[in-house]
Amino acid sequence: MQAKTIAKRFIGKSKTLLSLLTVASLLAACSTATEEGSSAGPSENAKKTVVNYWYWLDDASNNTMEQLIQKFNESHADIEVVGRMIPFSDYQQMLINSVSTNDPPDVARFKDWWIGQFAESHLLEKLDDYASKWEYKNDIDDVFWNTGRTADPNSPIYMMPHQFITFYLYYRKDLFEQANLKPPTTFDEFLHAAKTLTDPSKQQYGFAYRGGSGGQDQWYAFMLAGGARMVDENGSVVINNAKAVEVNQWYIDLFKKHKVTPPTAVSDGFAQLTAGFQAGTTAMMAHHVGSYETLHKALGDKLGVVPMPQADPSHPATMGTMTGNVMFQSSKNKEAAWEFLSWLSSPEATDMLSQSTNGQLPVLNTLTSKPEYTSKNDGWKISIESLKFAHVWPPFKGVGTIAGHTWKDNNDLALFGKITSKEMLDQIAKTLLE
Amino acid sequence: MNEPLTVHVKAGEKKRKRTGLSKYLYLLPAALLIVGVIGYPIVRALILSLYAYNPLNSGKTFVGLKNYVGVLSDSTFLKAMSNTAIWVVGCVFFQVVFGLLGAVLLNQNFRGRGVIRGLTLIPWATPSVLAAMMWMWILDGNYGLLNDILMRIGLIVHPIPWISQTGTAMASLMLIDVWQGIPYFAVMLLAAMQTIPGDLLEAAKLDGAGAWKAFWKVVFPLMLPTLMITTILRIVWTASYMDLMMVVTQGGPAYSTLTIPLASYYRAYTDLKYGEATAMAGIQALLLLIVVVLYLRLMSNKGALDNGK
Repeated sequence: MQAKTIAKRFIGKSKTLLSLLTVASLLAACSTATEEGSSAGPSENAKKTVVNYWYWLDDASNNTMEQLIQKFNESHADIEVVGRMIPFSDYQQMLINSVSTNDPPDVARFKDWWIGQFAESHLLEKLDDYASKWEYKNDIDDVFWNTGRTADPNSPIYMMPHQFITFYLYYRKDLFEQANLKPPTTFDEFLHAAKTLTDPSKQQYGFAYRGGSGGQDQWYAFMLAGGARMVDENGSVVINNAKAVEVNQWYIDLFKKHKVTPPTAVSDGFAQLTAGFQAGTTAMMAHHVGSYETLHKALGDKLGVVPMPQADPSHPATMGTMTGNVMFQSSKNKEAAWEFLSWLSSPEATDMLSQSTNGQLPVLNTLTSKPEYTSKNDGWKISIESLKFAHVWPPFKGVGTIAGHTWKDNNDLALFGKITSKEMLDQIAKTLLE
Repeated sequence: MNEPLTVHVKAGEKKRKRTGLSKYLYLLPAALLIVGVIGYPIVRALILSLYAYNPLNSGKTFVGLKNYVGVLSDSTFLKAMSNTAIWVVGCVFFQVVFGLLGAVLLNQNFRGRGVIRGLTLIPWATPSVLAAMMWMWILDGNYGLLNDILMRIGLIVHPIPWISQTGTAMASLMLIDVWQGIPYFAVMLLAAMQTIPGDLLEAAKLDGAGAWKAFWKVVFPLMLPTLMITTILRIVWTASYMDLMMVVTQGGPAYSTLTIPLASYYRAYTDLKYGEATAMAGIQALLLLIVVVLYLRLMSNKGALDNGK
C-alpha cells in the first residue's frame, strides 16, 4: 500500500514537474523567439528615427499617402515614417484620446478648425523657426500661412499649410437650358433660378441644401457670400449681428419659406447631395473641387461650375478650408518630424497628392501657376479664381464644437421654426468663444 | 478511543477549511478579471464625473456634484433621457413580441427549416454601421425603396422624408433596431423551446390542452427564465447603442433622436467636457440598474426564476 501511495505521489509530482517544465520551456521559447524576431527590427531600425504620422483620406480607395510615405522612406535612410490611416469620422476623437493618454503621434494631418483647441492647450509645436529656413517658405502666400495660426494677433504658426478648398456652385446645364435660365451670379438670381427649377410633383428641387453632417461649411459659404462675417477686423465675433441674422434668415427660408430644397434637406449629407444632383432631383449644389471628378464622370457636359453667387458681387466672398500638417510638442524626434512634414509640402509630394483623387488645391505658387492646374477643368479654374476672396473658419477654440454638433442642432431647430435666426446665431457666437 | 476520534474530527475540519479556501482560489482569476475589466473603469468614471476635465489639458478641477446638477438641469439632456426611455421600451417590446412569434414559427416542422433558421440570423450578424447605411437608403425620402413600395401600392401619394421629420425619425430608427434584434430573441427562445421535454407536452395533450393552452401553460413558463435574461441583456444593449443615431441622424432632427449615449459622446468629444460626459453615463447606469432590479423583482415574484431551477 505504502509503495503504491509513494508511486502515485511520484507520478503526481512528476506530472506537475512535467507541466511546469513544459510551461517554462514554452515561455523560454517564446522569449527567445521574441528576442530573435525583434533583433532584426531594432538592429536595422537602430539607425533609423521613427516618426509616427496619422492621416485621413477623403477617398480611402486611393491611398496616395501610403505611396508618399514609402517614397519618403526610400529616400531617407535615417528616418522611418510609420503611417496610420484613420477614417475622418473618428479622426478628431482619436487625436483627443491620444493626447489624454500621453501618446499622440509625432506628425498629424490637421484641419484649420482644430488649431484653436489644440494650440491653446500647448499641444502643437511652433513651426516659425523651422519654416523660416525652409526653401519653399516664400512660395506660399501669407494668407495660407495664417490659416495655421490661432486668433491671437501674435500667434506663431502651428500648422504647415498643404491643401486648400474653396466653395463654388455646381449647376445642371441641361435643367438650366430647359428652363431658359442663366447660371446665377447674385443671391436674387440664385433664388429665382431655384424657384423656377422647383417642381415637387416631378420631385425636382432648385437647390441641394445640406442640413445633415458637414452642412456647416455650405452654410458658412452662403453666409460669407451674403455679406456676413464670423469676426470683424478687430477680432470681435460678429456672426450674430443684424447683417448676419438677415443672411441666415435668407438661407433658412430656402427650406422653410420658399421650399426650393428637397424635404429631406434637414438630414441630407454629402452622399444624398451628390445622389440627388446626379439624378436631377436638384439643379444646384454648393461644394468644392473634391467632388468634381465624381460628378463630371456621372454628368459629363451637363455639369456646370460657377463661383458662389453673391449678395453684393462687388464684395465677393466664399468659404475656404485648409488641410495641413502639424507636429506635436511631445514628439521626441522633432528634427526628423520636420523633415517629413516639410517634405510633404514640397512641390514633388504636393503635386503627387493634388493629382490623385484625394487632390485639393495646392498652396505652392509654383504649382497653382502651372497650366495643368489652372486649366485642368472648370472646378480647378473656379477654385483658383475664388482663392482671392476665400475666408477660412476663424481659429477659435469653439470651431470644433460648432462643426461637431452645435451648428446642426441649432440649424435643425431654426429650420423647424423652433428658434429664430438670431437665437441660432447667438448660440453659434457663444460656442465660438467657449 | 477518544483520541483517534478527535484526530479524525480535526482532520475533517482541516479538509473542510481547505475546500472552503480553495473554492475562493478557483474564483480568483474570474474575480480579478471582472474587477479589472469592469470594476476599475466604473470607479474611474465615477471619480472623473466629479471633476471638470478637458482631455486636451492635463489639469483636473474637483467640482463635486456640479456636473450632475448641471447635466440634470440641461433641457437637451432631459430630452435625451425621455428619448432613451422611448427608444428602449419601443425597441425591446417589439423585439420580444416578434422574436417570440419567430421562435414559434421556426420550431415548426417544415421543409428547408435549417436554411431558414440560418437565414434569419443575417440581420443580427450584419454589422451595425452597414445596417444603418443600408436602411438609410431604404428609408431615403427621395429614392427610398420603402417610399417606392408604398407609392406603388397606393398607400401614400408623396414620398415621406422618414428620417428628416421629428415625428418619424425615432420610429424609423426603431424599425432598424427591431429588424436587427428580432433574430436574437427568436434564436434564444427557440433554443429554450427545444429543451422542453416532449413528454410534458404529450401529458398536457392527454389532459385535454389544445395547442394554445399548451403553449401558455407549459411552453411559455418554461421559456420564461430565458426570456427574462435575454430581455435584460437587450435592455442594457439597446440603452447603450448609439451607432444608428450617429450614422443616420446624428441625434436630429431637432434632438428628436438624441439619446443619452450620443449626448454623452458629443459632450466628451466635441465639447471636450469629460466630467459632464461621464456624469451623463453615470446617470444612465443608475437608471439602468433601477430598471434591471425592478424587472428582476417583478419576474422573481412571478416565479420566472424558480422555473429555471
